[in-house]
Amino acid sequence: MSNNISEPVRRVDAIEKADGRAKYIADINFANLLYGRFVRSTISRGLIKNIEVPMLPENYYFISSKDIPEGGVNKINMIKEDWPVFADKEIRFYGQTIGLVVGPDKEILLNIREKIDIEYIKYEPAFTIEDALSCKGGAIHGKNNLYSNYHLIKGDPDKAFEKTEKIVADEIHTGFQEHVYLETQGMTGLMENGKLTIYASCQCPFYTRKAVAPSVNKNVEEIVIKQVTTGGAFGGKENFPDIIAAPLIVAVNKIKKPIQIIYERDEDISFTSKRHPSITKIKTAIDDENNIIGMDIEMFINGGGYESCSDVVLQRAIASANGVYDIPNVRIRAKAVATNTFPSDAMRGFGTPQATYAIETHMMHIAKEINLEESEIKRKYFIKKRGKTITNGTIHEEVKLEEMWDKISSLSDYNRKNTQYKPGHNKGIGVAFYLHGGGFTGNGEQKIINAHVRVKKHKNEKVELLVSNVEMGQGLKTTFSKIAAHVLNLPIDNIIYKNPSTAKVPNSGPTVASRSIMIVGKLIERACIKLKKEWLIDEEIEIEEVFNQPDEFKWDQEKFQGDAYSAYSWGVCIVEVEVDTYTYEVKTKGIWSIHDIGKEIDRLISEGQVSGGIIQGLGYAYLEKLDLKNGRFYQNTLTDYIIPTSDDFPSMNIYFTENPYKYGPFGAKGVGELPHDGVMAAFSSAVEKAIGKNISKIPVTPEYIMELINDG
Amino acid sequence: MDRLLFTLNNNKVEISVSPSKRLIDVLRDDLDMKSVKEGCGEGECGACAVLKDGLIVTSCLIPAGTITGSNITTLEGLRETERGKCIIEAFADAGAVQCGFCTPGMVLTAEYILSKNNHPNENEIRKNLAGNLCRCTGYDMIVTAIISAAEKVGGLW
Amino acid sequence: MVETYRPDNLEEALKIRNSEKAIPFAGGTDLMVKYKSWTGTLPKFPLPLIFLGHLPELICIEKHKDFVSIGASTTLSTIEDDKRIPVHLRKAISMMAAPPIRNIATIGGNIGNASPAGDTICPLITLDATITLNSLNASRRILLKDFIMGPGRTLLKDNEIITKIDIPLKTYNIELYRKVGTRKANALSKLSFSGVANISNNKIDKIHISVGAVAPIVVRSNEIEKKIIGLRLHEVKSKKEEIIQGYSALIKPIDDQRSTSTYRKKVSINILKYFLTIITNKMDKNKNLC
Repeated sequence: MSNNISEPVRRVDAIEKADGRAKYIADINFANLLYGRFVRSTISRGLIKNIEVPMLPENYYFISSKDIPEGGVNKINMIKEDWPVFADKEIRFYGQTIGLVVGPDKEILLNIREKIDIEYIKYEPAFTIEDALSCKGGAIHGKNNLYSNYHLIKGDPDKAFEKTEKIVADEIHTGFQEHVYLETQGMTGLMENGKLTIYASCQCPFYTRKAVAPSVNKNVEEIVIKQVTTGGAFGGKENFPDIIAAPLIVAVNKIKKPIQIIYERDEDISFTSKRHPSITKIKTAIDDENNIIGMDIEMFINGGGYESCSDVVLQRAIASANGVYDIPNVRIRAKAVATNTFPSDAMRGFGTPQATYAIETHMMHIAKEINLEESEIKRKYFIKKRGKTITNGTIHEEVKLEEMWDKISSLSDYNRKNTQYKPGHNKGIGVAFYLHGGGFTGNGEQKIINAHVRVKKHKNEKVELLVSNVEMGQGLKTTFSKIAAHVLNLPIDNIIYKNPSTAKVPNSGPTVASRSIMIVGKLIERACIKLKKEWLIDEEIEIEEVFNQPDEFKWDQEKFQGDAYSAYSWGVCIVEVEVDTYTYEVKTKGIWSIHDIGKEIDRLISEGQVSGGIIQGLGYAYLEKLDLKNGRFYQNTLTDYIIPTSDDFPSMNIYFTENPYKYGPFGAKGVGELPHDGVMAAFSSAVEKAIGKNISKIPVTPEYIMELINDG
Repeated sequence: MDRLLFTLNNNKVEISVSPSKRLIDVLRDDLDMKSVKEGCGEGECGACAVLKDGLIVTSCLIPAGTITGSNITTLEGLRETERGKCIIEAFADAGAVQCGFCTPGMVLTAEYILSKNNHPNENEIRKNLAGNLCRCTGYDMIVTAIISAAEKVGGLW
Repeated sequence: MVETYRPDNLEEALKIRNSEKAIPFAGGTDLMVKYKSWTGTLPKFPLPLIFLGHLPELICIEKHKDFVSIGASTTLSTIEDDKRIPVHLRKAISMMAAPPIRNIATIGGNIGNASPAGDTICPLITLDATITLNSLNASRRILLKDFIMGPGRTLLKDNEIITKIDIPLKTYNIELYRKVGTRKANALSKLSFSGVANISNNKIDKIHISVGAVAPIVVRSNEIEKKIIGLRLHEVKSKKEEIIQGYSALIKPIDDQRSTSTYRKKVSINILKYFLTIITNKMDKNKNLC
């Protein structure tokens, strides 16, 4: 094994995936398997008046709220318990689960489904953020449709705004985004060893266990969730599997036979959660010397019909709302609102992409107003070590943005091109600076998760990692194994890391929030250091490590003030474009990025994360239009929901800057979400310069570009 | 139900299937070729791609009745050949495999690309891969893998 | 369970078509999506299928003196690779879908489906292609332009099968095909522009323009083209506005999940203007060479 952990190794699961032996949930045969397909609401808001189910042949079932056992609760136990397992009275969005038809033959199931007749009483739906704020049709949630509402202050914004009349204002919109994991949602539930068990394509087996247990009146230990090789997730398999698992477990509890639910693609696009759409209104006060002296931010995210993780997304969006800048005197008011759309939920970046797009675009517009170059003004306000964040916390680490900028601007020839490409002459080059906090926001790692990790030495000298984090393509099986192998000085083949089962592993927390390497990887490192000291040949030894928040980080959850994160990963991305004057299509000519993720545990894996994240971000910036039509997602097939192909963007130039984090394994911080945070603003800025018109929403489609050019 | 005779991975197959049954379902359900993945069922994503008489095709769009006498290759067959092993190794070494769901389709399309031109350039590869969607890798490493397979053992094609 | 027929030759296929209502099925890339059902279940075809994709009489490309003939079951990738086919059509085909689809989809199927976004139709109409329809006892050949009636509607009778597409081989020294898709590759058209012209003695002696996906059927106007034939450079320049107005009146796109009618119209006109500029530039250049 090389001395430098960053040296790439072949991923431990690469061959089995590349030669087709890897088994995903749809590939696993279960004896006597039944199939399940959901029956969903066909209205956006109202009440179920009547459900008429035809006579069912033997071995066919229509499972609904009536099948929730005595003592069970018709609520999915997520962050809040608001989302019902089966809708039985109130309908809050088109496609809400009402029932599940189960049986051995799919043709017969389709027939049964067609014959089920549901009568509704329709109410007036609210679809947009504006609708929600005006409580159109009456409040859907609480008194005023607010899942969550924050008002935070840094410094003295009122005073700052009094000092000057020069204000730059923006209203910035971001749209829905669908994950498009290549493997759709899928799971199989059955009785195994006397316990209700679910094999699932998922990110968080322990979340799912917790979510479903109350619906069948069981303790969590009586339910087993086993992760199966997962074909992509991007946050879409973080909470959403719970929505499928809860009805499934009610069905298995009743029928006691294996039941498989695998979504069709159009079903998946139509009836799973999306990234929260956002509206951000920013006003910045500028003094006579063109200094930024204050900022007022109003942020709204569309949470849809139930809260799910909207509050947490909003929290992260708030913490990212000033981007990489130290802005004096900031007011931020942020709200997550309820509408009659499919509940929004986690997606890669989790609020940071929306917030970053807003702040970067706004800073770019400020630059234009005061006649500075975009990078000049942005660099002027870079936050530094010991700088104060928007939540009045501190940056504890060295910030290397200047050094990263020097490198990437030179490699991309940004300055020369930016000068050469006159605004409105169809060529442009844009830059974005961004950060991503590692781990759960605030004290979540300690108070909510409190990760436990176990490392077990087997008698045959192999070492098994017992964690609840999953491999979903991000390379975790390899990076965790590398950490262990390096500490223990063993070949990587001696490390065992199986797809986790809640019955076999401790809860090291969910595979989210760019926390796996930084937080859990560190625990693995510590456990392996201990194991190395206690190593005995032919003996079985188990070491447990528990997360402990270092003292230097201060956080007040109630006031939402302090160090929102103990460490940040940082990025700079530059995109060069050319706009077609006839068709308004954008051709991306070059993409350059540099990231500080502390230390790459595997450079090729880190590059893979950056590659994938940037292309997914460019899809969000340019191609992935997802409209609502009468409360339903309009572009609901892969033909119409457009993600990038291999021919849509050029190859990328990817670099890293080392900046070891003392509480990260080998100095590593998170990388999973970071590359999806900034590229949209770099793209948008480049197009803005190319067409000479202000852009304030994504996706920046050719249709939108045409509108901007022709309206001016 | 009709009797269907064709060749699968160089083996003669004879099964009784409905002629309108999708090839992907015949391969996965009747013949246990689980490497063939369903990503969309509408021919957009390429995860179900197989070789039919040497041409890359999306098996979710092909009814069984049209493959009588055809030679079908899935990854189960390709992985046993030298060319297949070369592509698989190249993918593994280039970091081109993340979640792996698109990979079987990609590997078969790589074989198709190299069989048409054993030294393709980046542009050609990108155009020919456009029918295989990947959400994890951003495509760069897949392109690198194919170029590297061609460089290392281009003579195999 | 739907019956399928797999005739051994064209005559057998025509006999079946003559005796019952059935769906002609060549590549099937449109039909399999249209009638797709739950994974593992059969597609829900409303009528029996007649498989035509294997019929040797329908898979062929023949070059004659003045035209090239393509069998209806010839796949798009075969056409794309065959240099006897006019480059204008091959270019259009190379931008359709992606290789796996082009290896299955057929020219006959693309025409028969008659989608406004069917990408072979627009360039074929520009090239004055004709289509041959066979029934058991008869055969007729009509202009493709006259065969397509509307979205999903053609003149194909229930007892007919599309057998051939013939493309006249003419000389054009100006050629522009532009597809504007939902993304760079593997995309449906928002609109497509297909224009060919020939400048001879510094006059326009041939001009054919078609615009696809901007109206229920491909927009092509013999009337406007007649007004352009024979024009000299200064005449083209002075009539440019009139020509553009003429097409503008015919371009009536819709809003849908892929694009807007405003965009489709504006961009079609932009490309038309560009095409006319290519023509005038060439005539300008020729003038200066004399």
